[in-house]
Amino acid sequence: MPKVPSLLVVGLLAAQFLVLQVTQSPEPSCSLNIERPHYSTSLYEIQNVDAIKLNITSTCNVSQKYTQLSADIQKIQNNREVTAYSFDNQRRSSTTKSPNVVTFKDLIAPCKKGAPISYRGTAQGYVYLEGGKRVNVKGDSGKFVAAGCLIGAQ
Amino acid sequence: MSYFQECLTSGGLLFQEERRALYKYLLEINRDFYTAQAHVLLKEGTVTRSIANGEATFILKNKKVNYSARMLNSPEIHSEIREIKLARVKTRNIRKLQKFFAQSDVDIIRNFPLPSRYPREESGFGISVYPFYTLTYYADGKNLLKGLVRKIRTSDKEILVKLRTL
Repeated sequence: MPKVPSLLVVGLLAAQFLVLQVTQSPEPSCSLNIERPHYSTSLYEIQNVDAIKLNITSTCNVSQKYTQLSADIQKIQNNREVTAYSFDNQRRSSTTKSPNVVTFKDLIAPCKKGAPISYRGTAQGYVYLEGGKRVNVKGDSGKFVAAGCLIGAQ
Repeated sequence: MSYFQECLTSGGLLFQEERRALYKYLLEINRDFYTAQAHVLLKEGTVTRSIANGEATFILKNKKVNYSARMLNSPEIHSEIREIKLARVKTRNIRKLQKFFAQSDVDIIRNFPLPSRYPREESGFGISVYPFYTLTYYADGKNLLKGLVRKIRTSDKEILVKLRTL
């Protein structure tokens, strides 16, 4: 049986290891799920407060440390799209139970009940992964949907 | 129940305008307490206190102060949530720390409100990235001059009146 040089064996093993690393570890990717802004009945029941709520979830295929977002609620006014409410720049960490996911459930804007107004949620920012890498994220809730509460009429 | 007590229970259900007013109110009513805590921190390098259903631990290291938080009786610690750099002058540091403490109290109230009959959803620790004591907050991280104008125009008078009413 022919002898195989040990250096060649080591080289082949190293090459195989590298190939496996490249093919097995996925490229980190994250996405935003921005729900349509809606009138919060729960907030009204709990605190007797009228508010439009915007729920956002950022999901990655790897563990994330936190997600940082700048979010707005847009509305249609005089047939034009305008910003109805801008949230402070927000950062939320992931939990040990769901390290790949961060959910923003406290984005609420005060409003006054009345005629239906069409709203859409938008957000952009980044996800800071456990490994220290940043992944930019951006999205919106799709088409404008009406809610019977006017933001900015306090 | 006073509006302030309601805030301690509402936590994450507060509007951002309410959180900003709460910061101003806490700074106003706790000035002496925060000063005393700042002296302890500068002398001993660490100070811990609780508010609502949470606890904050402040650590001074290399002229920087950061704080970590946890829910009372919970082992899960959210570390190094915010950080400030101290100056050389002690009186200036006391003022900086007063604001830092008030901001962290608002963060704790938001994330760990007092227990109520409404279940709290489990989520990570959430903060407004720019603290209320910076112009960057009013500028939303952009032009500081615009931030200054916006700060001057911002009035939380109505909410502050509610907070001051016992």
